[in-house]
Amino acid sequence: MSEPILPAAKSSSQLNDEMLSSLRTPTWSWYALALFLGAVVAWGLYAFGYMLTTDMSCTGLNRPVMWGVYIVNFVFWIGLSHSGTMVSAILRLSRANWRRPILRAAEAMTVFTVAVGGLFPLIHLGRNWVFFYLIPYPNQRGLWPNFRSALLWDATAIFTYIIGSSLFLYLGMLPDLAVARDRSSGWRFKLYSVLAMGWRGAAREWAIFHQASTLMAALIIPVAVSVHSIVAWDFAVTVIPGWHSTIFPPYFVIGAIHSGVAAVITLMIIIRRVFHLEDYLTPLHFDNMGKLLLVIALLWSYAYFVEVQTTWYAHEPIEWEVFSFMADKYAFLLLFMIFANSVLPIVALCFKRLRRSIAVMLVVSVLINVGMFIERFLIIVPSLSHKNMPFVWGTYRPTWVELSVTAGAFAGFALMYTLFAKCFPMVAVTDVRELEAQKSVVRLSRTRLQSSAEKE
Amino acid sequence: MEVLGIFSDKESAGIAVEHLIKEGFVERQITSLTSVAYPDGVLVRTEQRTWFRWFTLACGIAGAGAGFLLAAGTAWLYPVKTGDKPIIAFYPTGIVTYELTMLFALVGTIIGMFLEMGLPTLRKRVYDPLIAEGYIGISVSIHSGGEAVACGADVLPRECIGAVAALPPDEQASRAEEIMKAAGAVRTIAEDRI
Repeated sequence: MSEPILPAAKSSSQLNDEMLSSLRTPTWSWYALALFLGAVVAWGLYAFGYMLTTDMSCTGLNRPVMWGVYIVNFVFWIGLSHSGTMVSAILRLSRANWRRPILRAAEAMTVFTVAVGGLFPLIHLGRNWVFFYLIPYPNQRGLWPNFRSALLWDATAIFTYIIGSSLFLYLGMLPDLAVARDRSSGWRFKLYSVLAMGWRGAAREWAIFHQASTLMAALIIPVAVSVHSIVAWDFAVTVIPGWHSTIFPPYFVIGAIHSGVAAVITLMIIIRRVFHLEDYLTPLHFDNMGKLLLVIALLWSYAYFVEVQTTWYAHEPIEWEVFSFMADKYAFLLLFMIFANSVLPIVALCFKRLRRSIAVMLVVSVLINVGMFIERFLIIVPSLSHKNMPFVWGTYRPTWVELSVTAGAFAGFALMYTLFAKCFPMVAVTDVRELEAQKSVVRLSRTRLQSSAEKE
Repeated sequence: MEVLGIFSDKESAGIAVEHLIKEGFVERQITSLTSVAYPDGVLVRTEQRTWFRWFTLACGIAGAGAGFLLAAGTAWLYPVKTGDKPIIAFYPTGIVTYELTMLFALVGTIIGMFLEMGLPTLRKRVYDPLIAEGYIGISVSIHSGGEAVACGADVLPRECIGAVAALPPDEQASRAEEIMKAAGAVRTIAEDRI
């Protein structure tokens, strides 16, 4: 008999109580965490304000390294945003029943990571106060954005993705908001009533809802792929050595999924611990996510090998110069990245026992994201340091301003996620309960099996 | 007017639906209110065909037009002359057109879904918060009363209102409540009493 996805024999009220436990009155430790994260965000804002009032010379950016940690952050956060919605959409389309407790954590992650990521091009602008020059609207300045620039493709794609991901998150939450509405009072009741839009769960509403969910999932996947392909084109359509490569878009998409799936696992572990959801996020979920991560780690390793092998075998002088510079100056980072992104996950995730160990999964998933941040750094900085003209070769080291803004971004993401978890259901309540409601025990010869009536 | 019966389990809710149909109510009048989805036919049968996907398609086409106009149209209106580059470039126009197509389609899906669901409603509709706790609501829409049109092969679904429609609305509601109570409803709520 297959392993149960849900805890056995719990009433709907019990399931509601447990899965909506994150909405209970905050504890002191929650306030302390929110305060700490808020303080780090405030520090990041101070650093950004300092940069505004002085100039970009307080950063480590220089000629030739014009893109530094801000763009590393941009690529990293947009990459993270990928998997949330994409994994959720793929699992929805494939009707994998084990997906149910994971969906919300993944979808919420996308919305907040893309929000944080989208800030970095604006932070990087230099003259941040004229950011509205980027927006295409008729104006008296006689300026119009140049759509031939890959940066404008970015803006368009990220705008589409943040709207699409937010709608996807909201759509999945709609029936849960109605459940939360029926169990709340005061400001929460008003908030959930407005957001639930009068949902009653009529049979016709469910039929339309399921069709809309499937359609949204099918629409959001190509958007997710396009967003990171376009981020890759920011690099690949230039003629900078190390960037001008046809493999960049698929390599970026795979890298994005790699870091995103790892981040979903990390968040699952945190949510499971904090909200006591051990009955819902079981070792089975980590096992399945581990298998997914293993496949992606293999794909990422293959793509990285192909990229480096082509450079090495062709030995084109300037390409090889960039790689040699990276392998020499950033040897430790390079080796750590290969270990964290490739060696460790491939070795560890081959074993079922390790995939089912929460501690191992936490270490693997966190290290993958450290590795992926380094990978973004190693894509951007060495290529800009050693471009085609040797007389402008240089190096780059981020300053306290850039590091503070980066810390602020991580804290900002964590703060948004923490606030979201306190205001909205962190587990897809109705999705999980649907499985329970459709279950039935049927007799098959001498044994009794659990069957589940599937939709459509 | 609507009458809602609240049931603690799906078996008694299913029995209530069967009895309502035997009494002369038609499938179209009966719906279930549940906090989780049940496969069609477990409680009630409902129309599975939807039109909102056509709305998504229409929005996608509108988005393609908007994207093309934004990238190519404005490039033509406000030409940015850069050496050896076309004013209207195929590649950027394609990307912006694609992104706006998808954006409009995504937004159109949500708008179309709500339009087809008829949400949000300003009218307060009959409901019970017990439904969130796993109870099942069976809701019966009451006809305004008049001549019944029996369902048959030559009768369009929207014209088929069943024999019970010949009764005055209050009597229809009372009959529905009686049937649901007999089937095991925990309680019944009629719309004019909320």
